[in-house]
Amino acid sequence: MNAQLLTCDVLVVGAGPAGLAAAAAARESGADVICIDLFARAGGQYTMQPAAPDSPFHAAPQVAQGREAIAHCQALGVRMLLEAEIFWAEPGFIIFAHQKGDAITVRAKTVVAATGGMERPIPFEGWTLPGVISAGAAQRLVKANGTRPGENIVLAGTGPFLFAVADTFAKAEIPLRAYVERQRAGLGTVDLFISHPSRLGEALGLLRSLRATGAHRYTGHGIIAALGQERVEAVRIAPLGQDGLPDRSRAFTIDNVDCLCVGHGFQPVIDFTSLLKAAHRHDDALGGWYCVTDPRTQATDVAGLFAAGETAGIGGFRPARLSGRLAGLHAAQAAGRVLPHYGIDKLHREMIQARAFAARLAQLFPFPAHIADALPDHELVCRCEDVSRAQIKAAIADGARDAFSVKMWTRAGMGPCQGRVCGSGLAHLVASELGKPAAEAGYNRPHMPLRPVPLAAAEAALALADLPHGVET
Amino acid sequence: MSESLPKAADVVVVGGGVVGAAVARQMAKDGLKTVLLEAKAFGGAVSGASLACLGTHMHNIEELPILIEACALWQSLSEELGNSFEYNRSGQLRFILKPEDVAIAERWITGERAAGLAPELLSPKQAQEIEPLLTGPIHAATWAPDSATVNPFLAVRALLADGKRAGVMAFAETPVERLLLDGERVTGVKTSRSDISAGHIVLAAGPWSAKVARSIGLTLPIVARQAQCLASVRQPPSIRRVIGACESAGGVESGYTQIQQAASGQILFNTVMAPQGTPTGAEDRINEVPRRFVRDSIAMLTTLFPSLANILMLRSWVRFEGVTPDDRFMAGHLQDGLLIAAGDNGTGFTRALFLAQLISRAARAATDPRDGFYNPLRFAGGKP
Repeated sequence: MNAQLLTCDVLVVGAGPAGLAAAAAARESGADVICIDLFARAGGQYTMQPAAPDSPFHAAPQVAQGREAIAHCQALGVRMLLEAEIFWAEPGFIIFAHQKGDAITVRAKTVVAATGGMERPIPFEGWTLPGVISAGAAQRLVKANGTRPGENIVLAGTGPFLFAVADTFAKAEIPLRAYVERQRAGLGTVDLFISHPSRLGEALGLLRSLRATGAHRYTGHGIIAALGQERVEAVRIAPLGQDGLPDRSRAFTIDNVDCLCVGHGFQPVIDFTSLLKAAHRHDDALGGWYCVTDPRTQATDVAGLFAAGETAGIGGFRPARLSGRLAGLHAAQAAGRVLPHYGIDKLHREMIQARAFAARLAQLFPFPAHIADALPDHELVCRCEDVSRAQIKAAIADGARDAFSVKMWTRAGMGPCQGRVCGSGLAHLVASELGKPAAEAGYNRPHMPLRPVPLAAAEAALALADLPHGVET
Repeated sequence: MSESLPKAADVVVVGGGVVGAAVARQMAKDGLKTVLLEAKAFGGAVSGASLACLGTHMHNIEELPILIEACALWQSLSEELGNSFEYNRSGQLRFILKPEDVAIAERWITGERAAGLAPELLSPKQAQEIEPLLTGPIHAATWAPDSATVNPFLAVRALLADGKRAGVMAFAETPVERLLLDGERVTGVKTSRSDISAGHIVLAAGPWSAKVARSIGLTLPIVARQAQCLASVRQPPSIRRVIGACESAGGVESGYTQIQQAASGQILFNTVMAPQGTPTGAEDRINEVPRRFVRDSIAMLTTLFPSLANILMLRSWVRFEGVTPDDRFMAGHLQDGLLIAAGDNGTGFTRALFLAQLISRAARAATDPRDGFYNPLRFAGGKP
């Protein structure tokens, strides 16, 4: 095993749209920059880079945007550390990571957290059946790996991201059986595009892609259950009733399904910024708990720590790229470089506008946390540790009063994913059982390690931090 | 859920860890109207973060008759409650790395055997027969077959549930702000929600007990000591016993190690070479393990168990033990209306059920000659 100690002015965590923009901006300011990401290829989700050189996606505009951003960073001399997982961070800053079994420790003057978003899964009947996957995972399979997730695919949930996934399927010429969206297009949509006409072309393009998949469209419908023995075989859906839950009296089944892709929106990845003790707040329109930043500088309340993109609240590609650039420039300044005296105001204005569009769009597709209330007692909430809703109810009956107590008594959220998958569903179920706000029950404080790390690599990375300053191995 | 608090009770137990839950359960079983108040989550602080090893080995020779009974109480509780908390009489191996520690180990073994126990001194080869993956360079080991572990979360849950069946009224998220006085007599508690008056108040809040006592000007010699632990992702059965470092001169202050595999399959491990002082108030703010501790713990685990060098670490956590000047619990009457069962010194699980009986005896003015061992007024000339 190798162990490397690196130093830099600005460390950018995440190589998606926000991270790449931050890394380039900081480097353009003259800072020495390292950009670290846990995937094998930079680009993140929106500007994801396909693995195969002959992938049909290379021609897609998002892929091109990512390719250009990566090439720009490379030309500038940003040092990229890919397939590297951060497992610990200390203020000041020392970041501990491992990369394919090797240990890497980075000392940085300032840090930009561009850790992105992650899907907010909601448990429903049958959600753990093989063949039921998240919409984001489906997109990654198709776009990055060229893998077809199934033959008879249903795409369901809510939000603009479902359009993007349908677009991915269309480009890969994979047909969809059905598209199930909770919202009906209404006046809100018209209003949105009247206010932001520049976005209309993109939206119409996505709509065309959805048509091209051949999907039967069910708007105003929600999932009741994924059905099947060994794996998903059918999907039961229904139009939504007044309470926003599927009206079971009008339910019907889509048969002969072998893949159900589900997405209900994203939440900011805040484990890294939480670890460094930045302030966080809860706002459903921003995906739940997000890292609080100064919108002009993207500075958090921790000196030298900046946050950009989805980490600072779900907003999509444009706010990510703009906030990334702002964060990169100010992180370089905080590391002793000079801030350009023009261009910042414009970036800031564009960012505010892009955020405004994202906020309006988010309002059209509210996160339907309450659909977890319909989860049958026998169904699993935590799939790492096989904890059912009934076990959660039993823990509450025994005196558990928050998600932490439920976790102690049932092991829900104690498995390898550390609650990343079940956390939001668990928080909602505990909160609704106790009549508390979900935000209160749901904050999961990170601990060392952020992600599972091999003992030997952890030991080696931690040892590097004791080397004297000025050493780079 | 915000069930309203009762206005009055026979007993209010402050602190819902293993000691508080055991005390409340015992009080209710002995016929007293009992309220249990926990500031945050039941078993969520010291107890939940502990490795919950029960045993007699290398604790205190004088205390052995009590420890033997205390361990037996756990075994019968497990039988009574249908082993709802993963009671596992695994036995315990204490490894010895330096030849000079053999003499210390032999002294412990002699003393424990005199009390009727059966610890042994083992060669590395004998130790490996008991613990096959323990292939690291040890010099010798001790073996105490009577040690056991429980799941600390489920043990608190089971005590609480059994206590409720006996009538305990238990409230989480209800911190006690201060004790209420009538002259010299403690008459109740003021909580974040309302006041409760009671004939007896029991402090069972671990390292936080001193803070509650301070509300009536009482200074308790209990300080917080930081301890910490690491856990791997679940592994196939690998470690059968509790593995510890042989208690050497200087006790826990000279360092410690504990390694065990939980029923979940996770390997739990910690090593502290030489504990640093715990800053004042750390128990209310520090929640991360020190970097040095992680390195030392990994190094010790992989030295003893080289085949585990590439398992994945999943989790770390910090707890704060309540420490007394002589490493012994404070249990009994502090002053009129006020009792205490705190000062776990990192080994609260073993004694919890015995102390619950002791406190119930004290509240009912019953006596047992052994109870004086934990007299809370033993410091500073009989005054707390």
